[in-house]
Amino acid sequence: MDALGDPTRRRILELVRDTGPAAVGALAGHVPVSRPAVSQHLRVLEGAGLVRCTRQGTRHLYSVDPDGLTELRAWLDGFWDDALARYKLAAEGSER
Amino acid sequence: MSETLTIAPVTKSVHVGCEIERAFRVFTTEVGTWWPLDTHAIHAGAVREVVWEEHEGGEVYEISNAGEKAHWATVLTWEPPARVVIAWHVSPDTPAPTEVEVRFTADGEGTRVDLEHRNWERAGEAGAGMRDGYDSGWDTVLAPYVTRLE
Repeated sequence: MDALGDPTRRRILELVRDTGPAAVGALAGHVPVSRPAVSQHLRVLEGAGLVRCTRQGTRHLYSVDPDGLTELRAWLDGFWDDALARYKLAAEGSER
Repeated sequence: MSETLTIAPVTKSVHVGCEIERAFRVFTTEVGTWWPLDTHAIHAGAVREVVWEEHEGGEVYEISNAGEKAHWATVLTWEPPARVVIAWHVSPDTPAPTEVEVRFTADGEGTRVDLEHRNWERAGEAGAGMRDGYDSGWDTVLAPYVTRLE
């Protein structure tokens, strides 16, 4: 999961978080990339479960998806599971 | 939008089949023998060693193959073999780092190790300045949106 690996994408997520439901055009005014690029970033964020899109009439509005935090937690849990499994092997291995 | 969005502490427990002194030593001083240095280090894949200074106020840092030092954490509590707490700086400028507390308890023939990684909210704006060397997972965890998501 590297939806947040891109600085522009992080900035867009911050904007969505700070402004609440926002349309692509409004977001595009705050970042130095084109509107289609903003749309592309939003799709990545949506795919990662970090933002969600709702329709109001013909407008698509983006807002932060709280469930995205679940994914962060899952990543953290997985990281420590892996690290501690390696630790267990090291601790139980032969004395150095 | 008024929902509270914070990240609860990560808690983990693992049982290891060795005495408590060794369990503590391997977790701390010998962290470089098991930590996934190929992916989760500042000089990922190019770390020569990890140094864990064994006292409160001590530093945990990596040394790259090229000899460069990179800070990981500061030791807040050093109580071998029962407990250690480190302040995990996500950036050198972070005033309020995350914390990792690890407790060791003799358990039958072995040792139970309880870990808590907490204070994600405190990573602050410095999360935005995360080093590129961390893998995307750390980037994800420490991205600025954990900060003011409340």
